[in-house]
Amino acid sequence: MRILLAGLLAVSPVWPQMAGSHRAFVVCPEIRDTKTSPCWLAEYSGETYFLGIQGGVAEDFYPPQLEHQVLVEGEVVAGPRVCGGIPLKPVKVSVMQEIDASCHTMLPAQDGIEAPPRVRVAPDSWVKTEGPGLSTLYFDFDNDFLSLHASGALIQAVAYFKKSGAARIEVAGYRGATLLSSGATLTEKAGLARVRAEKVAETLVGLGVPRAAVSVQAVDNPVPAKGAGDAWNRRVVVSVK
Amino acid sequence: MRFLVFCLVALGALWMAWAQDARVGELLPREATFENPSGRLTVLNADGPVATKGHPFFEPVGTNGRACVTCHQPANAMSVSGDAIRERWRASGGKDPIFAAIDGSNNPSLPQDQEASHSLLLKRGLFRIALQWPPARNAEPEFTIEVVSDPTGVNRDPRWGLTGVAHAVSVFRRPRPVANLKYVLEPDSTPFNVKLGVLLDKDPETGLPVSMNMMADARAGTLKIQAEDAYRTHLEGKKGLTPGELAQITAFEKQVYVAQTWDRGAKELTGGDGPGALGPANLLKEQAGVLNSPAKPVFLSFAAWQKDTEFRQSVARGNDIFLNRQFWVKNVGHINSIGLGNPAKRSCAVCHNAVMSGMDRAPGWVDLGTTNYPTWTEPDVASTTAELPVFKVTCRAEAKPHPFLGRVIYTSDPGRALITGKCADIGAITMGQFRGLAARAPYFVNGSAKTLMELVDYYDRRFDMRLTGQEKQDLVNFLGVL
Ligand code: HEC
Ligand code: HEC
Repeated sequence: MRILLAGLLAVSPVWPQMAGSHRAFVVCPEIRDTKTSPCWLAEYSGETYFLGIQGGVAEDFYPPQLEHQVLVEGEVVAGPRVCGGIPLKPVKVSVMQEIDASCHTMLPAQDGIEAPPRVRVAPDSWVKTEGPGLSTLYFDFDNDFLSLHASGALIQAVAYFKKSGAARIEVAGYRGATLLSSGATLTEKAGLARVRAEKVAETLVGLGVPRAAVSVQAVDNPVPAKGAGDAWNRRVVVSVK
Repeated sequence: MRFLVFCLVALGALWMAWAQDARVGELLPREATFENPSGRLTVLNADGPVATKGHPFFEPVGTNGRACVTCHQPANAMSVSGDAIRERWRASGGKDPIFAAIDGSNNPSLPQDQEASHSLLLKRGLFRIALQWPPARNAEPEFTIEVVSDPTGVNRDPRWGLTGVAHAVSVFRRPRPVANLKYVLEPDSTPFNVKLGVLLDKDPETGLPVSMNMMADARAGTLKIQAEDAYRTHLEGKKGLTPGELAQITAFEKQVYVAQTWDRGAKELTGGDGPGALGPANLLKEQAGVLNSPAKPVFLSFAAWQKDTEFRQSVARGNDIFLNRQFWVKNVGHINSIGLGNPAKRSCAVCHNAVMSGMDRAPGWVDLGTTNYPTWTEPDVASTTAELPVFKVTCRAEAKPHPFLGRVIYTSDPGRALITGKCADIGAITMGQFRGLAARAPYFVNGSAKTLMELVDYYDRRFDMRLTGQEKQDLVNFLGVL
């Protein structure tokens, strides 16, 4: 799905003011009230981007937080504006950890600006499953939080481990870096690859996998940033063998 | 010592707790009904009448004359109301064991015969909870604590204080109802605390996940651990509870249900085709662990009352506001920081989402703001009229800060953070159940809301809800019948 979309966009660049379809920037997010769900937006370089609508933790999109800047990484989607912004999809938003009191823009509902209907999509920005024994969990920037989707994938991995009589589970953690549209690079904090991997391993043990059956590997050299796809380097790969 | 004295009044079996007369009161019947300012509460013992004589929940099994029932009174929905505490001071001249120095006074070092030394208990219904700092489970907390205001003197006391012999942080909290506990104890349907993406704590005996919804800070995972803690602290027990006593206490706790059954305005709350959530029999009947949904809203349906007496219509409107009125829920740690967005346009039920109890299906500690500056319930930080202690909490540079308050926080109760040592948990207090509210004012963990109207007013201010006077009254009427 992700790959298909990116490929499609490569042949039809629609927003000529910025080269390519990839956007990555750190800004204050904005929330726009509507008649239905509030929309989350972000302004960058004179343009407004649509990130997603408010939902629950079972959705793929976990919205930003006012009082914090947000790292937005996404691909511009061709077509009409959504809720007043250019849609990005896939999009990964990472809430920056420190407080920024200047991030407090709330826009009122306005005629003609409407939220898109809610559609349930697969949690592609959190988990990729390739067969029952292999899944990749994705993380927000500088974060080791396991979303509902990631924890669900671990429950499934353990169920498969038990059912299949597999001998071990390999856990490999990575950290990433992000090439911003401004040309700067943001790199995740050192040691995070191991923190992520250990957390996943501990969780597998807590879910009933014998400790001796879990092997942990951490690649702490950040995967080099190159723009599109950087978000998917912040990951842990779980393989039931 | 007889803790409960039975007498019959026109209404049926009305219990008069704490009468001085010990002629009767050795049996808590299957159903017992008690008066309170807005109506009547019924206590239902699902396993049948309970012989209180010799029962470790009802007898002073520790060393200070208190029993569990001292602070968990049937007439007060198994908590204890401010009015009942004041009445006991009056009747006993301050000698009742509820006023025991250890936690029934502002500070055990104060002269105990003076009313002022028990002001937090008498004015706000608060008991002192002393928690070891740093916590045993977490020797390297993410933050340091300083006492910046100490009206009771206990946090700077050489014996009881933070740098004293006790190495304890003293906070002051309301007792929580010991009833309807299946709703408190039922763990979420996933083994995870979905808010944090970590596994739930486990029951050390069974290895099964626990709800983490008991106590203001979820420090006790099971009834057994809780009872042993209550015995050592509140009862100043020394020799330990026997396995038999523990079994008796927890068995009693698991089968007792409470709820209002009659209301001055709404009249009879149960029976007929009225709302299916009211009364203890419905609490016994319904299943725990159900999440709010359109098919099964938190307190089921009040449709039958939408075309009924004026008061019942008001209750039905209150239920509707609780469930459906949207407002900007903003800057709440463990709600706005968990993937729901900050702010989130939601209703009361985004937090209070568990059917029948109004608790949280996930572990419910949330920094609503009642104990943290600037949203706390207290008017002043450190004035001469301040009643609660104030702590300055400073997070270490490498720690993840509190999501909306940052790295330096003033708080009257750090809540869950006293157990985990985490900055993100500062001021996070576990949501309690909504049942029997009319019988157990004052409200909130710190007894700051004297009435349900004051509780609703807090929300109106905190979230700029702009409720009309009528809407507030509707919410109050609704909460009062639960
Ligand atoms: C001096 C008053 C006092 C006495 C005596 C007392 N408690 Fe409590 N109880 C409290 C307070 C205060 C809390 C809330 C503590 C907190 O939130 O940190 C509480 C909470 C509880 C809870 C948690 C309920 C919930 O839903 O969170 C249970 C269960 C409980 N007590 C059982 C007992 C038992 C069993 C005994 C006797 C062994 C007992 N208590 C004795 C004051 C008391
Ligand atoms: C952001 C989450 C959140 C929202 C929204 C919320 N509450 Fe609460 N509620 C809490 C927390 C946390 C507590 C416990 C706080 C404390 O005791 O200091 C609580 C406690 C309560 C209590 C129990 C008080 C007691 O002493 O037992 C009631 C009643 C209540 N809330 C009603 C409401 C109503 C009515 C609304 C909507 C107007 C509402 N809540 C909205 C989080 C929330």
